[in-house]
Amino acid sequence: MTNYLEVKNLSKSFDSFQLHNISFTLPKGYIMGLIGPNGSGKTTTIKLILNMLQRNGGEIKIMGLDNIADEQKAKAELGVVFDTNYFSDDWQVTQVEKSISVFYPNWKSERFAEMLRKFHIAPTKKVKELSKGMQMKLMLACAFSYDAKLLILDEPTSGLDPVSRDELLQILSEYIEDGEHSVLFSTHITGDLERAADYITYISYGELFFSGSKDEFVDMFRIVKGGTEELSADLKEKAVGVRTFPTGFEALVKTEDTGAFSPLSIEPATIDEIVVFTSKKGDDYE
Amino acid sequence: MKLIISNVSGVPIYEQIKQQVKAAILSGELKEDEALPSLRTLAKDLKISVLTVTRAYTELEQEGFVKNVQGRGCFVMGRGSELMREQLICKVENGLTDAIKAAKIANLPNEELHRLLDILLEANTDD
Amino acid sequence: MSNTLKATKLDFSLVKPYIKVIGFTMLLPIAFAAINRSILTGVSFAMCFIAMTTGYTFSVTEKNSMERLYGILPIKKSEMVTGRYLFVLALGAMALVVSLITQPIVLRAMGESVGAFDMISAAIGGLFLFALYTVFQIPGYYKYGAIKGRVFMYIPVAGFLATLFFLPKMPADNPFVTTVVSSPVLLIGLVLVLVVVMYVVSIWFSIRIMENKEM
Repeated sequence: MTNYLEVKNLSKSFDSFQLHNISFTLPKGYIMGLIGPNGSGKTTTIKLILNMLQRNGGEIKIMGLDNIADEQKAKAELGVVFDTNYFSDDWQVTQVEKSISVFYPNWKSERFAEMLRKFHIAPTKKVKELSKGMQMKLMLACAFSYDAKLLILDEPTSGLDPVSRDELLQILSEYIEDGEHSVLFSTHITGDLERAADYITYISYGELFFSGSKDEFVDMFRIVKGGTEELSADLKEKAVGVRTFPTGFEALVKTEDTGAFSPLSIEPATIDEIVVFTSKKGDDYE
Repeated sequence: MKLIISNVSGVPIYEQIKQQVKAAILSGELKEDEALPSLRTLAKDLKISVLTVTRAYTELEQEGFVKNVQGRGCFVMGRGSELMREQLICKVENGLTDAIKAAKIANLPNEELHRLLDILLEANTDD
Repeated sequence: MSNTLKATKLDFSLVKPYIKVIGFTMLLPIAFAAINRSILTGVSFAMCFIAMTTGYTFSVTEKNSMERLYGILPIKKSEMVTGRYLFVLALGAMALVVSLITQPIVLRAMGESVGAFDMISAAIGGLFLFALYTVFQIPGYYKYGAIKGRVFMYIPVAGFLATLFFLPKMPADNPFVTTVVSSPVLLIGLVLVLVVVMYVVSIWFSIRIMENKEM
């Protein structure tokens, strides 16, 4: 299986924050969600992949190319969407194409025009006149016009309405359908990933918590619920995280530990629940 | 074939796909050698993970319902396949058991039950 | 097209909304030339003004957080920086050409005589001043950004005032100055070499700043 993105032992130190030994692999043809609470290092990881930040250690390969030694070659295959657009506000959509297309040898103007039609973006509009969702689609249209093989999205859905978020997922599902494209998608709105993501990489406060298939990730934990008096010491000890309230408790427990608590209500956990319960530990971190 | 994914049933999505494909095969809606929807197209259409569909298809293959032809897709195995037959026989047994139970409650003699089955078989010979 | 030229082209599209301001900046010095009845003054003003507009690319980039665009384009930082210098030089060259065409027309219409020597010395003087301003400005913008570094916009003004102040005080009897001034070829050659060296050093600094900058 070809890997489109390989990150090995990636480290970066800032004065107040450290990213530690992050490793993950995204094979060709799949969607990976990069998740974690705000400030856990998602954007830092993405900027390190783009060589916009200088790493302190580790190795990054984009489609087999070193992200620093072969930076230009790698970036010609890369499409990036940030939470806000990176074009000049005063550019018309046509000017965006004129300005950007020269940098990509594979740029197809017909493809760009087709994408604008598909996304209902008027070519004469200025960037600042487009809604946030439209601006995101414009960045995608650019990436599709040079047939970027790997798409990296940094918090693309923050500030988007549910309709645009759903459209994005639709676009991404179509993008990977032919098996030749991959997506790395960072978000703290994990509902977006619940269905569509194939892999999950979960970074918590600069540390890698998990990287692997989403089904495996979700299957690792269960939510155990019960009345306050049912919260035994054993359960407390085994739980990854517990939330108590006057009428009962909810606890995240590793699936293999749930056997002992079978009389209680045991449910599958969502990605959100896993992130919330596992990152509570970090409360005293900040 | 109809595939409906529920988010609230608590049944994992791959399991839902498996169950519905199996039901379609057993009901004859999916015929022998008929192709299942392409893995990636199905994932796109249902907006679910490719790996989830892969898992459903792989398990269906392991259980002998479909065969995966490299590069061409997944195809429904023949009805003669051992497993499908077993499942069908099982279905017949269940149906007959139900019939016997109902007959007992109705105090229907065994000969009458046999006769009923013969009549029904006769009536269904056309298909 | 080389990546450097592509970067230059991108810079031109960045300042497109400012095209009228830039055009006005190129024509305004005609007034100064007319008031002082000197093409040397007119061209010096022109180069000072146009050097003040080089910050536009930086301010547009900063306003729109376009360092992220530069971060994803398949182009080296050194090419981006060199492209920016080419853009600035092209802008300067345009201002110089516009001035050298329009100002003599106006001056002659006013009855002044503008000879070839006046034109050449104005061109050389203008080029030198422009280089002097921009070689400090650009690394400053790269280092501090257009907003924090907006003080660099005024380098041309400061430089211009300094020139006005020091030029008359130059010891005219210095043997080096006399030799250079008396030989136009030597003067032109010296200025050109100096300009090239200044830009090479400035570009080197800017590239180093950008390569170490984290976005």
